[in-house]
This record gives sequence, structure tokens and C-alpha cells, in this order.
Amino acid sequence: MDFLAEGFRRALALLFSGDAEVYGIALLTLKIGVISTVLACGLGIPLGFVLATRGFWGRRAALTVVNTALAFPTVVLGLLLYGLLSRRGPLGAVGWLYTWQAIALGDVLLALPIAAALAAAAVQGVDPRIRRTAETLGAGRWRTAWSVAREARFALAAVITTAFGHVVAEIGSAMTVGGNIRGQTRTLTTAVALYTSQGDFGLALALGLILLLLALLVNVALQALQGRGHA
Amino acid sequence: MLELRDVRHEYDGRVVLHLERFAVPPGAAIAVVGPNGSGKSTLLRLLALLERPTQGRVLLDEAVVTSRGAARRRVTLVEQRPILFRATVRENLEFGLQVRGIRRTEVNRRIQDVAARFGITPLLGRRRHELSDGEVQRVAVARALAVEPDVLLLDEPASSADRAAALTLYRALSEERVRRPMAVCLASHQLEDAYRWADDVRALADGRLSPVTPENLFRVELMPAESGDLKHACVGTVEIAAMTDRTGPAILAVPPTDIFVSREPLASSARNTFQGRVTGLARRGPGAVHVTADVGVELIAVVTEEAVRDLALAPGSPVVFSFKASAVRVF
Repeated sequence: MDFLAEGFRRALALLFSGDAEVYGIALLTLKIGVISTVLACGLGIPLGFVLATRGFWGRRAALTVVNTALAFPTVVLGLLLYGLLSRRGPLGAVGWLYTWQAIALGDVLLALPIAAALAAAAVQGVDPRIRRTAETLGAGRWRTAWSVAREARFALAAVITTAFGHVVAEIGSAMTVGGNIRGQTRTLTTAVALYTSQGDFGLALALGLILLLLALLVNVALQALQGRGHA
Repeated sequence: MLELRDVRHEYDGRVVLHLERFAVPPGAAIAVVGPNGSGKSTLLRLLALLERPTQGRVLLDEAVVTSRGAARRRVTLVEQRPILFRATVRENLEFGLQVRGIRRTEVNRRIQDVAARFGITPLLGRRRHELSDGEVQRVAVARALAVEPDVLLLDEPASSADRAAALTLYRALSEERVRRPMAVCLASHQLEDAYRWADDVRALADGRLSPVTPENLFRVELMPAESGDLKHACVGTVEIAAMTDRTGPAILAVPPTDIFVSREPLASSARNTFQGRVTGLARRGPGAVHVTADVGVELIAVVTEEAVRDLALAPGSPVVFSFKASAVRVF
């Protein structure tokens, strides 16, 4: 138990000391998390809308693919991405391997099906009379979609929270395509894994606490936004 | 003029509506009546261009509707259980006006105007969870009227309202039609309301326009009698005897002119005799009176003015309705 208590003491000391490395890792994680969440939700939520509201050939198959992708192992995703981004791979010329962009790309691919599947479920949960009401009052396609989104806004906020949570907690792909390079691609999760393996439990715990804090802050911010909307 | 032509509509391969022609002329006041499941709501959704018919055409001003979006700006539907957007009543009223790009000052003017006419001005700042079902219904009708449609479609507009609120709603609709030209087509199971309000009452049964008058139309399950050839069907709290070979699901119609009205039960050949109370009297045509009575189910009989006087019929008075099993039409 002593080493746990010592770990917590060390973690708190690091948190309040303004350690440049710790905060650098946290900021990089936040940057990657925000960018990849915005991209994944920006693509995934409209995709979810289409899957939930449009009848087209292959819709059921597309929903199955999206739902299956929810369980895609992140290590395998990292491995495939590594193959694509490595120098001999088809995207090798981009030069993204072992950069934060590669981690963000992996995170987008990870969070995209989550955003699409949850958004589709959220939209399907909206009373169908909302769409019909908007249409019969003369709304076009986009305005109708906006009306439906407004009704589902609490559920869609949860989609964003979930996507962000998955992105910042992801380690398999970040380790494989990011390389865990100090000062460049070291994120909170890869750093926690590294420092734990090195026996620096206090530092790992400090980074773990920051990770929790980030998730907490995003949830609080979204709840505050939801609080502004009334039933 | 809004029109359905040669329309056949199916859900999961089951035909729910089959109409050669259903027209809503400009300025008409049409009531569509029929039992639950007769296709009234489907008919309104097709007229509102919310669904495409499986077969057939929808015409607006004699032209086949190709752009549903543009046509929807002229036709508005208020559903049976309308829903308000997650917003204030004012924002709900604004919705249809904003999508038409109407200027702010005009939006405000129309909202004040329609809110005053429907008595919902005090509700403008409220949100949907702060309203009763009846208030939601009134707001939904006001929201539809705010966009000043050429055709207003109403599905059971009085279903969430009490009697007084329903009458207020019908009065407001009549005033609206006086104020500006507008066709209204409403679906209702309240025949009395339909006759009181509409110029043209049409009956729908099993997705088809019924050839008989829409009074006394019921969806039933016909069962063979324990003895004899007659079939029986439970309607409301009464059991109607019908002369037919059919059993199972059917539509029953009792022509109002085939019902004998008396104050006391008559010794007669009529196999159907029900006692109840008069709930309404409506003058229809020269000398004809529609007597509505609750005899365990709402039935309408047509009698002469003279008969009404002789029998001293008035709302609330006791009455006996009798009709022969052979008078019952089965579809």
C-alpha cells in the first residue's frame, strides 16, 4: 500500500509543479483528442444520419459493417495503418509514420464507426413525427435534418463524449504508428504504459490522473451545454 | 385543387388505401369519416406529400407533383397526436415562417395574430412539457395556420380536446376560412362534428371510399349465432344482429333511414332494438333531422321534423332505436 500512497503523493506533486514534460504530454493528447474527435464526429454523425433516415440499397449491410467496426481491435488497426504509412506502404510518401498526425488518423478511424453507430441510434430514437412535422411545415432536407438533430442533441452530445473518451484512452494504434517518441508522439496512454514498465509508478499515476481529469472536463463541459437546453 | 388519382398504397404488401380519385377542391370543407384502421391517416399523409403512393399520382392544380418540397409549402398536415419541437410555443409558431424566409416583422405580426385567434398568447413563452394535450393540439393547429396554407389537413383534430375545446377549434377553423380562402380536409370519427362542420362528408372503409353514407359504420368481428342464421357483432356495449353469410372481420353499416325511432320498445320484426338517450339533433335538408343517440354505441337515425315533434325528441330524452337484421349492410 505504501507504494500506492507514494505514487499518489508523487502524482500530486507533479501535477502542481507544472512539470513541462507532463503538461507537454497532456497537451499533445488533448490536441490529438480534439482534432480526431472533431473529424470523426464531423464525418460519423452525418453518416449516422444517413444510415438512420435514408432507405438505400445496402443500408443494412452498411449498418452491420459500422457496428462490427465498433469492436475493431485497436492494435490491429494500428498494424494496418502501420502497413499503409510505412515507407514501403501505399501512403509512405506522406511521411506521417511516427508523427502525431498518424496517431490522429488512427483515432479518427477508431472513433468514426462509434460516432456513426451511436448517431444512427440517437436519430432513430427521435420521434418520427418530428421529421414529418418539419416537412409538412415546409422545411427542406437540411432544415428537417437540423430539426431532428436538435431533438437528439442530448444523445448526440453523448456521442461526442464517447468518441472523445475512446480517442484519449486508445493505446494500441498510438503505440504502433506513433512510436511513443519523447516530446513528439508520446501521449498520456503510451506514457503511462512506458513509465509503468520502467517502474516509475508515481509519474504513470500522475499521467493517469490527468487522463481522468481530461475526460471529466469534457463531460462537464458537455453537461453544461446540455443544461442550457430544456425539454 | 389537390387530388389523388388511381392511388393504391401498401404497407408490407398489404393494401391500405385504394382510391380512384380523391379531390380537395379550393375552399372545400371536407370531413373523412370511418372506423379506426380505415385508411384516414394514410390518406392524409399522401395528400400532405409526406409519403409517396405505391401506385398512382398526386396532383396539385391539375399538375402531377414532382417536387414534393415546393408542394409542401402549400399543404400542411396536423397529425392526430401532434408533436411540438423542443422549443417554446413562439419558436414552434415561427418554424414554418422561418423556413419560408419571411421577414421578422411579418413573422411577429402573424404569430401575434394567430396566437390571439387561438387563445394561446399566454402560452407563447412555454415549452412543450408545460402544456396539456389540448393546448398542444391548439398550438399545432395554430402553427399550421401561421404558414397560411392553401390546404389544411387535420387528423382527428378534436381527439385530445374536451367538448368545449373541440367546438372552439371548429369555430376558429370556420373563422379562418372566412378570413381567407383555404381548403380544409379533416379526418374524424365524430360524425356529429363532421356533419356540423363540413360541406362534404366522405366515408372510408378498408381503404376505399364507401358507397354508403358514412353514418353508423363499424369495423366488427362477425360471429355465428348459437341458433338461427343471423350473425352477431359486438359494437360498443351492444350486439348487432345482421343477415349475412359472412363471418369474421367485416364492416357493418346501418343506414340511418332504416332505423325506427320510438319512445318505447316496439313489438316488431326488428331483431335489433336498443334503448338509450338522444345526444344531438341536427337539421339536414328540407324536413330531415339527424337524431344522434347513445344506445351503448353512437347511432344516427334520420327522421322527419314531424316525428321529432310527435316524439318530443330533445337532447337527453330517452329513445329506442330499432332496425331489422336485413337492414344491416355488411362489407
